[in-house]
Amino acid sequence: MALPKRIIKETERLVQDPAPGISAAPHDDNLRYFDVTIQGPDGSPFQQGVFKLELFLPEEYPMSPPKVRFLTKIYHPNIDKLGRICLDILKDKWSPALQIRTVLLSIQALLSAPNPDDPLATDVAKHYKENEKDAQRVSREWTERYASG
Amino acid sequence: MDTDSPPQGLFFAGSDDGNDNDDVLIEEPQPGAATESKPRLFFADSDDDEETHASTFTTPMKRSISVHIENDGQSSDAEIPSFEEIPRASSVSSISSALSGKDKDSSPAPYVESTEPPTKRMRMSSPFTASQPPFESIYIGSFIVGNAWSTVRGKGYIKSGDEIQVEREDQDEGPSFKGSGTSKKGKKGKAMDKGKTKQLSIANMMKAPQPKMSKKKTNTVVRLTNNRGFEFGRLPTDVASWVSKLLDQGESTVLEYSFVNHLTSHLDMVEFKGSTMIDCPPVLHSGADLIVSLSIYLRSSAFKPPSTFASMSTITSAKQKINMMFNEGQETLDEQVLRERKSSLLKLFDAIGLKPRAGADFIKQRYKSDKELHEETVKSTMQAKKPPKIEIVGDGEEVEVEEGEDLSENELNMIYKKAQVNDLSMGEMEPPDTFTLTLRGYQKQALLWMCSLENGEASARDAVSMHPLWSEYVFPSEPVDGIIDLTSEEQPFYFNPYSGELSLTFPKAERKCKGGILADGNCHFLQKVLGMGKTIMLSALILTNCEAELVDPDLAIKDFSKQRQLKLDNAFRPLARQRPKSTKGPSVTLIVAPTSLLNQWNEEIQRSSQPGTVKVLVWHGQNRLDLEAAVEADDNDDKLVRVVITSYGVLASEHAKGEKSGSSLSPVFQIEWLRVVLDEAHHCKSRQSKTARAVYALRARRRWAVTGTPIVNKLEDLYSLLKFLDFSPWSGYSFFRSFITLPFLDRDPKAIEIVQVILESVLLRREKNMRDSDGNKIVELPAKEVTIENLEFSPLERKIYDSMYTDAKKNFDRLSAKGLIGKNYTHILAMLMRLRRAVLHPSLVLSEDQPDSSPADGEVDIDSMIRRFSKEEGTSEGSGNNAFAEGVLANLNDLDSNGECPICLDVMQSPMIIPACMHQCCKDCIVCYLASCEERGEEQRCPTCSSGPVKESDLLEVVRSTKERNGDASNGSQNSLPEVILRRNDFRSSTKLEALIYNLRRLRDQDPCFRAVIFSQFTSFLDLIEVVLKREHLNWYRFDGSMDIKRRNEAVSEFRCASRKPKVLIVSLKAGGVGLNLTTANHVFMMDCWWNAATENQAIDRVHRIGQEKTVYVKHFIVADTIEGRILQIQKRKTAIVKEAFRGKDASGSDSESMENLKIMFGDM
Repeated sequence: MALPKRIIKETERLVQDPAPGISAAPHDDNLRYFDVTIQGPDGSPFQQGVFKLELFLPEEYPMSPPKVRFLTKIYHPNIDKLGRICLDILKDKWSPALQIRTVLLSIQALLSAPNPDDPLATDVAKHYKENEKDAQRVSREWTERYASG
Repeated sequence: MDTDSPPQGLFFAGSDDGNDNDDVLIEEPQPGAATESKPRLFFADSDDDEETHASTFTTPMKRSISVHIENDGQSSDAEIPSFEEIPRASSVSSISSALSGKDKDSSPAPYVESTEPPTKRMRMSSPFTASQPPFESIYIGSFIVGNAWSTVRGKGYIKSGDEIQVEREDQDEGPSFKGSGTSKKGKKGKAMDKGKTKQLSIANMMKAPQPKMSKKKTNTVVRLTNNRGFEFGRLPTDVASWVSKLLDQGESTVLEYSFVNHLTSHLDMVEFKGSTMIDCPPVLHSGADLIVSLSIYLRSSAFKPPSTFASMSTITSAKQKINMMFNEGQETLDEQVLRERKSSLLKLFDAIGLKPRAGADFIKQRYKSDKELHEETVKSTMQAKKPPKIEIVGDGEEVEVEEGEDLSENELNMIYKKAQVNDLSMGEMEPPDTFTLTLRGYQKQALLWMCSLENGEASARDAVSMHPLWSEYVFPSEPVDGIIDLTSEEQPFYFNPYSGELSLTFPKAERKCKGGILADGNCHFLQKVLGMGKTIMLSALILTNCEAELVDPDLAIKDFSKQRQLKLDNAFRPLARQRPKSTKGPSVTLIVAPTSLLNQWNEEIQRSSQPGTVKVLVWHGQNRLDLEAAVEADDNDDKLVRVVITSYGVLASEHAKGEKSGSSLSPVFQIEWLRVVLDEAHHCKSRQSKTARAVYALRARRRWAVTGTPIVNKLEDLYSLLKFLDFSPWSGYSFFRSFITLPFLDRDPKAIEIVQVILESVLLRREKNMRDSDGNKIVELPAKEVTIENLEFSPLERKIYDSMYTDAKKNFDRLSAKGLIGKNYTHILAMLMRLRRAVLHPSLVLSEDQPDSSPADGEVDIDSMIRRFSKEEGTSEGSGNNAFAEGVLANLNDLDSNGECPICLDVMQSPMIIPACMHQCCKDCIVCYLASCEERGEEQRCPTCSSGPVKESDLLEVVRSTKERNGDASNGSQNSLPEVILRRNDFRSSTKLEALIYNLRRLRDQDPCFRAVIFSQFTSFLDLIEVVLKREHLNWYRFDGSMDIKRRNEAVSEFRCASRKPKVLIVSLKAGGVGLNLTTANHVFMMDCWWNAATENQAIDRVHRIGQEKTVYVKHFIVADTIEGRILQIQKRKTAIVKEAFRGKDASGSDSESMENLKIMFGDM
């Protein structure tokens, strides 16, 4: 199955001109499967952390959104235990005009701005709502523990 | 004047009294009421045609006459009517003396037809070969001139009853005298004119006959002299004006122009013998009234072809042809001579009361309106220049054509009717063994017809009509000694009131002319209604008549000389190169067909012949280098029938190449073909088009033109074909124009009659619904059901259309008020074109060319309105994006501005604009995305900015017209698009498309494997139809002029392929309207209406033709209350006009007719 031109182009651009704090590289055996790392944004509880993600471009891409999941454990109201991300552009707000790069940047931004009002991990969201300071502390701990590798 | 040779009498001297003589003279030649026009002759009537030439001297002369009359004491008014009562027989006594020695053997000798090659006289109308009349001169009649006047004073010159001579001014003068003296004398003469005749002394008179009128054109003096040769008087100017012409006859008149005096008295057409003085005063004085009786004899030379035809045509033809290119229809010198001769003869016949016994009885009408007619000719020539209209001929070649003489269907039927009368009983002919298919009865008939024409055998059809331009007259009996022998045999003669030619032999329509044509190959044309197997018939002909013609040395020479003359005439090429040949003539057939049909011809010829008997070369595209070699390669293989097939496009470009380089002619024009067949010959209907000129330059022994519509919408269409066939005399444009086109414009039914007779001899036309002699239809075809579906615009479409229409109408009214319609004809046609497109689909007129269009056009308003309309459809509040939107729109005109598609990240292919936010994507990407959203049940939004909802139908496609598109046959300037247009990606909102889909869906429900053909004249609309069909998941194929042959052939053959799925073929009316065989389909959809129904019917005949087994359903889509309804109205109106056409002469003329049509277009309904 030939890879669509768009995916080749995107991959090339990701390699040539990577977004700051983000890396993405396709697997040799499956060019639709990307290993992704995102640095926790400065000023967020995830600062200093390097999070691993996996990104998969489905057959319908770019008509349907890429599938993205955190591999690194993270304490975030919009990311659940399994690493699944609650982000509108990965769901109903997806547009084919978005790209891998924009998706990853959005995820990075999500780390800076957790949205407990639209939670995926309900307990984390509750924690963030009730005591944000304490929740951020836990996030920082998790980052040190799991994402400082 | 040469009067000594006694005429070989044709009448017996009998015994009868003078009154009877008079009766005979009057009654026999004029059975009908003929007196109305007669009295005019006796008045000095300045309305007479010839008077225009004499105008410089008319006035003084008249004055002198009237002065005299008053002096004379007798009122001329009293005298003039009395002329009628004067018995003509009073002249008899003196006639008898002149004719007493006359030979009594009156029976006309059998005329031996000479074998003179007709090619020499190709410019003449005479369809008979010249024969030598068996007499020097023959009595034609006599008339009385009551107001001749005396130029001398005194006694003894003449007395009543004396014989007089009638002489022409210059005939008795030596050439040197005349040549040198004319101008000087002219001056002197004028001076004397002023002084009136009274001042002239007799001596003066006798010494120097007045060359008063010796100014070039105005010299019409006719002298009366007595037996001693003294001039004593002259004929009055009104009579002299035409008598002088007859005495001079064309040649000397012409030569006078150049002051070269030729003594051409033996060419004079008439002589006056036995004319007598009836009454004169005993003592003459200048200006005295003389009443003379003139007896006129036609000299044998009159029956020869007028010398002007032969001599003038060769001298002036080259120049004339050149002129003709620029000043069509302007009168040339020889035409003028011709006209003068003609009108003089007409006046003569009128004067002597000679009426035609049969044939064209136009004397009276012609006589009265001759001048009028001439003026109209000039007028209409000028008018004709005004409204140029672009039509497409050949392979996409554009030509300007004149408007204003369109023919309706009724007229066409009338024209064809005669040509078809005898077809039922025509014999049949079996094709040769090498022909492998079976021919139907009517096809065998056609084969016989074609073969007989090619071989020059007696015609398969009998036609013995008189040539339509000729009338039959009977020589009046000549009174001898006052006696007329009533038992003498009536001898007819023939007169052509159009050309002024006279003949003694019966001018048969065409049949003799055909022999003449044979000399340079058989030229005839075959018209087949399409779908009747014309390819097969011609294939049969090619196989039947395949032997190379032997070269008759005489013939070859004639052929050659004629070729050369043709070439010079047409400035086609410097010299025909006659290849030194063996005894064998040309044997190859050249078939010229539209590009789309080349393959079909090739296949059909192969299919219909035994393998190995025919060798076909398709000379087109890349393989067209070695034509000459290929043709000559197996020149010695007699058994092989060789055929070359080429296209009009190739021919035209080869010809243009040859014309440019001058010397090196393309081999296709050098080779002499055995036979040239023009398929769809109306491709060269415009005689000035490159295609037509290329076709005329072909050399061939036999020429066939095959077309479904020899007359597409005007009679001149026919001209081009006749020209190709070299069907003289009609192949001369001026001839055709003056005898057919102009009379037709003049509502002269004769024009149609003439065309009928021409066609009778060269045209074979059968229609599908014709029946054979057994009463069976010659072609059994299933029924055809035609329905017109009237549609209503959606409110938005209505709004757009109405605003466009209002603009156009305003424009038209403005031009109309200023009287500038003629000048802006093309502009108006363009407006109409736009409206017609708007009916199909608003986006077809949505253009993005604001910078170029002036605000006055109103286009900006419409465009912006449409754009606003598009935005209104989206609910988005796009107000914030205005700057961005403007930027996008501004960039559209930049052809290289295609950006990256946000979806595929590639350069956008056929970018689409989302109207709400002006973001762009590839067409495929955005369509695909929106579809996937729909599938998921998600709202459709702009992928870039998420504004929405976005409907697929709102998308605007940016279409940049490419060059190929502009050049192809189906998409010429008529429907060329602006550089960039935005087209709504609209499947639903066009009323016509919706109707089409609805029909197709219903069809699919009823018949899951239907075949339908969709016609439209706009390829841009075909594009839209394509989209619709794609969306409907129908298998569709496309056929238009922008595709190369290979792709066209593929499209058609795939469409024909059997399959269980429904198939649709979309065809551009122009590219596929002819020739194609699409009998696999039985549903036809006509998306738009063409100006004439014939073109539409031809398109429908692609489906409704031999091989069709099912009922054919045709559906026309018409949107109510639009220009389409008005087009239909025009078609109907035309028919109505024709019904009225021949009832009386309509003062408005034809030009106003197209005006009327425009008024229908823009008038209030």
